[in-house]
Amino acid sequence: MRLRHHRQAVDESETGIDLAPMLDFVLNLLIFFIITAVFVKEVGITVSRPASQPQATEEKKKVKTIVATITATGEILINGRLVDLRAVRANIERFAAESPDSPVVVIAHKEAATGILVQVMDQVRQGGIENVSIAASEGT
Amino acid sequence: MRPVRHTEDLAGHTGIDLAPMLDFVLNLLIFFIITTSFIKEAGTQVKRPEAETAEYNRNGNILIAIRPNGDIWLDRKQVELRDVRPIIERFHIERPEDTVVIIADKESQTGVLTQVMDQVRAAGIQTVSIAALSGS
Repeated sequence: MRLRHHRQAVDESETGIDLAPMLDFVLNLLIFFIITAVFVKEVGITVSRPASQPQATEEKKKVKTIVATITATGEILINGRLVDLRAVRANIERFAAESPDSPVVVIAHKEAATGILVQVMDQVRQGGIENVSIAASEGT
Repeated sequence: MRPVRHTEDLAGHTGIDLAPMLDFVLNLLIFFIITTSFIKEAGTQVKRPEAETAEYNRNGNILIAIRPNGDIWLDRKQVELRDVRPIIERFHIERPEDTVVIIADKESQTGVLTQVMDQVRAAGIQTVSIAALSGS
């Protein structure tokens, strides 16, 4: 009677599953994810794709592509006219008012600094045109 | 007889109750699983250009860095321009929704930037953005 009583008491106390191995596993998984987690938030300007058939779309929608050229020395030309970086936004706003939805192509000389390119793209976007693409020029 | 049984019962519950700890740890685990994004880091430091209209690209998980001297860094290694395309193709197959962020140094030449962009687009990822510091 005493033995039986004892066994019953032990059985009662160990009804649940043993959580320790599961806890070990989960903790390992947790450590893995903590170590591999990278909290990098990279902000940037998305470059749109140049239209594959520029002539056809130009004729259809009658939109003029605004061409911003950056020379090797960092001078900026918009539709062939030399402008200062601070004047880019105003110029773009004017062109955007004339023909909305017109895309901007930034043609940068391959030796021009990326800083200027990004500043020009930023100014263009501030001027209200989101559709900015990049082209490279080999010439002088 | 009864008090003896009572002590036996206590002996069966000697350990700490693990259930609340397990709840907490599982919550922590779920948090880290959700926030982890497996970003392919470039592995080098560059001076980013500034742009006020820079915005956060949610899927921009593949980072390519271009150093002022034209070195290209991708997946924590320096690579040649011709290696960019196969590496990006592999990443594109692994995670098709990932897009590319090119971190070009302010002083780097745009020629390298456009070549890298061409390679990335040839590899099948059409959304490419250029990293910038937002605000001034």
